[in-house]
Amino acid sequence: MYVRFWGVRGSIAAPLTNEALSAKIEAAVKLALKAGLTDDWQVSEFIKELPWHVRQTAGGDTACIEIQAGGKLLILDAGTGFRRLGLDLIQRSMGSPIEAHILITHTHWDHISGIPFFAPAFMPDNALTFYSPYSGLEDRLNHQQNPEYFPVPLAPAFKFVHLNERERFQIGDVTVETFPLNHPGGSYSYRITQDDKMFIYATDSEYQGLSADSLKPFADFFNGADLLIFDAQYTMLENVEKENWGHSNVFTGIDMALEAGVKRIAFTHHEPAYDDEKLGEILHKAKEYLNINQPEAGLQLYLASEGFSMTL
Amino acid sequence: MKITESVKDNVSQVYIKGRFDAHTCETVDAYIREKMEKGRHQFVLNMEKVPFIDSAGLRVVLVIARDLRGEYQGDLRFAILQPAVNKVFEISGLNNVLRIFDDAETAAQSFSE
Ligand SMILES: [Zn+2]
Ligand SMILES: [Zn+2]
Repeated sequence: MYVRFWGVRGSIAAPLTNEALSAKIEAAVKLALKAGLTDDWQVSEFIKELPWHVRQTAGGDTACIEIQAGGKLLILDAGTGFRRLGLDLIQRSMGSPIEAHILITHTHWDHISGIPFFAPAFMPDNALTFYSPYSGLEDRLNHQQNPEYFPVPLAPAFKFVHLNERERFQIGDVTVETFPLNHPGGSYSYRITQDDKMFIYATDSEYQGLSADSLKPFADFFNGADLLIFDAQYTMLENVEKENWGHSNVFTGIDMALEAGVKRIAFTHHEPAYDDEKLGEILHKAKEYLNINQPEAGLQLYLASEGFSMTL
Repeated sequence: MKITESVKDNVSQVYIKGRFDAHTCETVDAYIREKMEKGRHQFVLNMEKVPFIDSAGLRVVLVIARDLRGEYQGDLRFAILQPAVNKVFEISGLNNVLRIFDDAETAAQSFSE
């Protein structure tokens, strides 16, 4: 099973600013001076050693993840990252029809605003199907492209499949299951299993009751996952300040992953106000926390970033 | 988890013993909230016998402190954090917003400052 992140930002797209780019260049040049670089050939090795937040960016596009499993293409959420995934699919397909199964967690803008810009939808041979537990999904997406908001109506190529709150179904060899999360207006987690690999996408969820009993239904759904993608939009403090906003933090994610025997957890839905340095620091603190509380646990921690991919 | 209390000058010293985690956080929460409802609003949580705290424990103390400050001009303060617990308070940023003391007496006296 192959997983690739196309959009990792929560709430609203947050492109890298000129100011932030300049700060990265300045930091890199200062470190290069300190390292005493003298030759071109040293540069690429030097860049590899730079701190993550200097060398890279988490990215500004909102929620979108690509999964390739059992010969099927699954897409989770259609935020602004969905646009670039669409362009990439066209290039990769080299003219042959694209079959995509698009699983929608909920219809907040950061999860659907890439749909009007998904180029494969304008090619009639492509088979594009949306799945969600919202019976009115088609209406909602049509509304998003009302002429007041967008000049072109929702592409007729899209098909819709309505799921139950807790459903288990097949897409070829791939088993997909849904589970409701805690979020204003609702959000659903998807568990995707193929061969012996299990992947969970659990974004836009807040866990207020953290007792073992309250978390058990979630831990049961996440149980044994090879990869859990988890909404860690806020710091611990901001999570409590923004109670009922429907998001979580890395520490809760780690404890839930440990409880559920998850092998890897990737934090996503990054707060648009946090820059790369802050996101790097959040991951660092997450690692420190795991080291202190469960040094022997084999759980691997990742910060989701655009273009980051993993094969399970 | 074992919890006991002693009250002096309207400040409640709450002693907890054991791991403060998803399995015990509700017990601590219910214990302090019961005292809050009976009119007590100044607490020192004595953590000398707490070797471990996780995100569930952190959230419980943070929410109680917020409620005490916001609704009652009270507070939940801390005494004697074990090194591992102290580190977790630092990592999670709680040490920036909660008042932590090296001994129980100073923590209790801080309410009469
Ligand atoms: Zn969102
Ligand atoms: Zn949302």
